[in-house]
Amino acid sequence: MIGISKRFPGTVAVDGVDFSVGTGEVHALLGENGAGKSTLVKVLAGGFADYGGEIRIDGKRADIRTPSAAKTHGIAMIHQELSLSPTQSVAENMLAGRLPVRAGVFVDRKAMNRQTAFLLARVGMDLDPATPVGRLSQHEAQLVEIARALGSEPRILIMDEPTSALTRDDVARLFGIIRKLKEEGLAVIYISHHLFEVFEIADRASVLRDGRLAGVREVAASSPEGLVRMMVGRDLTFACRATGPEGGGSPGRSERLAATGLGRLGFFSDVSFRLAPGEIVGLCGLAGSGRTELARSLCGIDPLGQGTVTLEGKPVKIRSLADALSHGLAYLTEDRKQQGLALRLTLRENVLSALIPGMGPGPIYAANSRIDVFSGLVEGLRITPPDPRQVTRNLSGGNQQKALLAKWLATKPKVLILDEPTRGVDVGAKALIHESILRLAGEGAAILLISSDLPELIQLSNRFLVMRKGRLIGELQREGTTEEGLLLAANGVTAGAR
Amino acid sequence: MTARYRVAPWLEGAGIYSLVVLLVLAGAVSSPGFLRPESLLGTVQNVSLLGIAATGVAFVTYSGHYADLSVPAVMALSGIVCVSSLRWGLVPAILLGVAAGVAVGIVNGLVIGRLRANPIIWTLVTAAAGSGLIRWAFSNSQAYPSTDTAAGKAFVVLFGEKVAGVPLTVLVLAAMIAAGQFLLVKTKFGARLKLTGSSYEVARMTGVDTRGIVLAVFVLSAFAASVGGILLASLNRLGAEYIGKGYDFTSVTAVVLGGVTLAGGRGNMLGVLGGVLAIGLIETVLTLNGVSVDWQEVVKGVLFIVVVGTSAYLARRQGRDDA
Repeated sequence: MIGISKRFPGTVAVDGVDFSVGTGEVHALLGENGAGKSTLVKVLAGGFADYGGEIRIDGKRADIRTPSAAKTHGIAMIHQELSLSPTQSVAENMLAGRLPVRAGVFVDRKAMNRQTAFLLARVGMDLDPATPVGRLSQHEAQLVEIARALGSEPRILIMDEPTSALTRDDVARLFGIIRKLKEEGLAVIYISHHLFEVFEIADRASVLRDGRLAGVREVAASSPEGLVRMMVGRDLTFACRATGPEGGGSPGRSERLAATGLGRLGFFSDVSFRLAPGEIVGLCGLAGSGRTELARSLCGIDPLGQGTVTLEGKPVKIRSLADALSHGLAYLTEDRKQQGLALRLTLRENVLSALIPGMGPGPIYAANSRIDVFSGLVEGLRITPPDPRQVTRNLSGGNQQKALLAKWLATKPKVLILDEPTRGVDVGAKALIHESILRLAGEGAAILLISSDLPELIQLSNRFLVMRKGRLIGELQREGTTEEGLLLAANGVTAGAR
Repeated sequence: MTARYRVAPWLEGAGIYSLVVLLVLAGAVSSPGFLRPESLLGTVQNVSLLGIAATGVAFVTYSGHYADLSVPAVMALSGIVCVSSLRWGLVPAILLGVAAGVAVGIVNGLVIGRLRANPIIWTLVTAAAGSGLIRWAFSNSQAYPSTDTAAGKAFVVLFGEKVAGVPLTVLVLAAMIAAGQFLLVKTKFGARLKLTGSSYEVARMTGVDTRGIVLAVFVLSAFAASVGGILLASLNRLGAEYIGKGYDFTSVTAVVLGGVTLAGGRGNMLGVLGGVLAIGLIETVLTLNGVSVDWQEVVKGVLFIVVVGTSAYLARRQGRDDA
């Protein structure tokens, strides 16, 4: 790809970038959110009809302006967001567009199931090919998506954050597959925020910054710190939690929230825990352990079957999210685009959306009444651009995530549940989000942190609750807990004393 | 987006008024008498009932539920109930007519809000059920106001009533537009509605009672259609099963033409008024140029296809961008 440019109204997403990937090479594409990685690969995958520059494949000029043109050139892409049809079966999704037929018209179910099973086996899955995709968990769906892309026998494979929904075992298996395909001559373009993945799998790394190429490095000859410096263009100071809880949080002090015997049939049962003011408690568990379901029931989004919740010593009945909010209990959803922010509304409308009940007297809505809250949060989180009338969709992913956090900080929560607060976010935004979380705890809020990002969990939490198959199986203290320790606990190998 | 795309919130969707101005000019060229105040008021009165219905439908569209196809049935039902109740007096009859129409709106709102039924299909179902109800409950599917009673006499002149020289229907339209605009822009209900229309899931996850919002918009739509239906029965001096015919698609055309996009959460009532006026002016200009009523229907049909089709296309593109 030579001199690739792509403009959107108001911004240049990619500006004159040269990029190449060789046969049998894994080339990582790095950069902060909004640096132009996804746009660049979308050009190659035929996502845009209008862009500047030239694409050459095997030295020959290739005019790729539609997805089907990309396909004929042997380019396949695994998307960051899943693109499977939830109502169709795994087999139908996998073989869409090339279903095996018998006698010209009839779909050959047997051949279909056989081919699907074969493709699934390559990614180490043993699934009934007739299962509707909607019934799969997110990480299963992600593996199906990968299997589908491999099934089209691509020559160039683009992977945009393929591991964000995968467990560690899945990632190891995926890397095994990539290594094997590499030997067969496949060219892989690999986008990831996880640097350790890049060092494990990639040969070269290109770093984008603000739509331009910041540099290309041989991975073997570079360091994580060096690459991060290239990505952000400055040295980072990571927020780091001093040992022990700040703000005078000593054990045995007044409790903020106590949950006893919480249960929801089929999702989790017999969950009891306490949160103290100023405390950050990490809730860790594998995909499907019931973490998110617990959080949703606690906030009244889903029904809670059994158990009692007390807030500051008083028992509370939470029947809806509005109830939860009126008690000062807020929940930051893991799904920013579908459930977190209304992307078509302005930054101000989103950040203040949870405050509507208090904006103006009685039924009257005073749109500008809490603009001071807005300004304070935007400044504190350094959301750019800080324009209240900016349409939220036009913000980068990192800034959107900051806006989502701001929306819940605006409610001044007494208890805040954070579900993957930095998923798919660049290092700079992540540091600012961490800083805000710590500040909120310092001001006395109790925080329950759900994250699959183990370094994040360890960096922020005072202690950890370990959840597995719908039950709390252990509690670990901050002192002496390592990533490995948490992972083993989450896998049920060694549960901490409880 | 850069600054030049921005307009003041109350001006959002004001582009429609450039079309209104063009049509007024076209009318002035077509007929010298067109610009006389009474002639302009007549044009507005011709579309006042459409406008009254459209203010209600605008809430449904704004909430992201596309359209209320039960509008014709609600208009017919409220009209015929009102006409049949005149023996109890004019005011009770009007209240009963509105209550009958609003009852349909409550059913729509509960089913669509709680069961998440597809609004197009479901309101089509209530439209059919409403028509069936009228045919079953009223002989000949019609009811005539008796001009022997005072209430009957007052009812048949209701449509033509004027207050200080301005037709009553135009005043009702103005009141509905003003009240609708106030609800959308100046109330917490409007703020919650905007969030719901922009993204239903996000509103739900922000603690908004989305079911209540959906119930409210279908009740508002049915209320507006009921008011329009009663005035339409007065104009026709008759309550009948068929009297609201065509108001469903024409009101959606006016709403979308006025800048309330099918994607939800966009536009406002002043734009809707512009859309209604544009449709009225198109009819007038076509009439002045000797185009038959049949051909006017064709023109309106084409307008519907172009306007709603474009909006649906843009909504889909935005949906994809959101994904």
